[in-house]
Amino acid sequence: MAGVWVFAENYDYCLELLQIGRSLADKTGVQLTAFACGDKGIGQQYIYYGADQVFILPPLAEDQPLGTYVPAIVEAARQEDPDIILCAATLRGKEIAARVAAGLNTGLCSECIALAINSDNKLEMKRVIYGGAAMQTLTCKTRPQMATIPPHTFTPVTELDDTRSGIIKEIGPISSTPVKVLAKKPRAKESGDITRSRVLVCVGRGVEKEGDLKLAGDLAETLGGDLACTRPIAEELHWMPQETYIGLSGQKVKPELYIGLGISGQIQHTTGIRDARVICSINKDEDAPIFKISDYGIVGDLYEVVPFLSQELARLKKK
Amino acid sequence: MLNIIACFKWVIDHEDIKINPETHELVLDRAGYRISDYDRFAIEEAVALTEQYGGSTTAVTVGLPAAKKSLKDALARGPEKAIFINDPAFHNLEPSQTAAILAQSISNQEYDLIICGEGSGDLYAQQVGPRLAEHLNIPCASFVRKITIEGRELIAERRVDEGIEVISMPLPALVTVLPEINSPRVPGLKDTLSAAKKPVVEITASDLGQTFASCLETVEIKATTMERNCEKFGAEKDELKRFIDVLCRAGVVD
Repeated sequence: MAGVWVFAENYDYCLELLQIGRSLADKTGVQLTAFACGDKGIGQQYIYYGADQVFILPPLAEDQPLGTYVPAIVEAARQEDPDIILCAATLRGKEIAARVAAGLNTGLCSECIALAINSDNKLEMKRVIYGGAAMQTLTCKTRPQMATIPPHTFTPVTELDDTRSGIIKEIGPISSTPVKVLAKKPRAKESGDITRSRVLVCVGRGVEKEGDLKLAGDLAETLGGDLACTRPIAEELHWMPQETYIGLSGQKVKPELYIGLGISGQIQHTTGIRDARVICSINKDEDAPIFKISDYGIVGDLYEVVPFLSQELARLKKK
Repeated sequence: MLNIIACFKWVIDHEDIKINPETHELVLDRAGYRISDYDRFAIEEAVALTEQYGGSTTAVTVGLPAAKKSLKDALARGPEKAIFINDPAFHNLEPSQTAAILAQSISNQEYDLIICGEGSGDLYAQQVGPRLAEHLNIPCASFVRKITIEGRELIAERRVDEGIEVISMPLPALVTVLPEINSPRVPGLKDTLSAAKKPVVEITASDLGQTFASCLETVEIKATTMERNCEKFGAEKDELKRFIDVLCRAGVVD
């Protein structure tokens, strides 16, 4: 069965892909197929949430990485010739999609943030390039047309219809790969998921030392929000966890309110806050590029401005 | 002894990109080029591994003949030699083409390990590494933050969405590395001078004996715009109070 195929390494991201996948399948008049990793029960859920067909991949052994599925996905696509394959752009998902695309000799739009069907019934895909400075619109001349979709780009399907039926098909077997998983170290829950925060206070290089994060933390707490940072704060200085940095290679966030403290506004960072509703920034350099993409900017020393804002906001709250 | 290939790309410096305010088209003709930042970590890791375990590093790039300028910079970072795959036809290559050209060029080389950056500084599609591994039929691990070699096995710590996965795979293999893996050395004058004497092998499209068709078609490229209020406030107390007032009225502070 040709049509639209979706692959995600976890359940929530698969529901997001089922939402966009269903709409693309309906527009082009084809069927929607989801992959489920090792679990028939989940496969049935995917049908209730809009899939017409589910491919059940065999469960992985403890030492088998997710990439073990690549040959099975390639083989299934060779046999059935799907029109479109969408893959959740998790770190592993991006690698798997690139390998599947290479196996099928087809094009892949990485981290696609908008999808549409054009007048030729082809998939039109948008992605950012040049560090966020430009948006590229692409079509794929080869089959299948492939894209990876960053998590949270589309809202998950919420309507469950348990009268829906579909085909559940086991595929595989999977052969062993030379890559073995020796250990898994889940991240300590140091921080919440900033992609779901309503308010974010984000720190940049203008914050002079690690101890000063408390200033920003206090403001975040007063606003009922969370703390985030730019890439150097997490990756070079290690002041904050990896999963709290915003930007092209980090998290893309969509809070109601974003306040940037001591952030210059490099495009690689600001591309991650494009979808924030209100952007505020505090920087002592009045020519900082961040002011050009801010709704409200305060030109001033964050060490004076931030404590005053925290105090004033706390006072208002009490009222 | 490790034979390592470090791949790098000569990319447009996006800080030099200007935008035509009327058409929102990009003006690229005066932009400079540089080795993609992400690839500096790939070169550094290759050189550091050969220093630790013995062996040599070959830096490889694919691009237009003008990318020749990149070789001296790449070689100054420590590799013993370079392979420069270039042709006037290699303009705006997409990841599928770059990976296929690299695979064709590398397939008759001896190597134990190929290292790529996690993505390129211009397209950041993050495909070339995994695609190249697939073409060469070797195992691959992406988003790696630590590499150890034990005999003919490579142990890698790679980032995954829920944390870290430690994997092993036999050599030859391919990894793509994250910036956190090392701190690239800054080449000194001596490195730059010795770079000019290092061997460079040139490969052109006709040497590869095949053409590499694109899969994707660009419909348009437009500058991204972020239209915001751009209202500025001073740091005086009444200004800050006005700022809070504006946030309250916008409904983002309660």
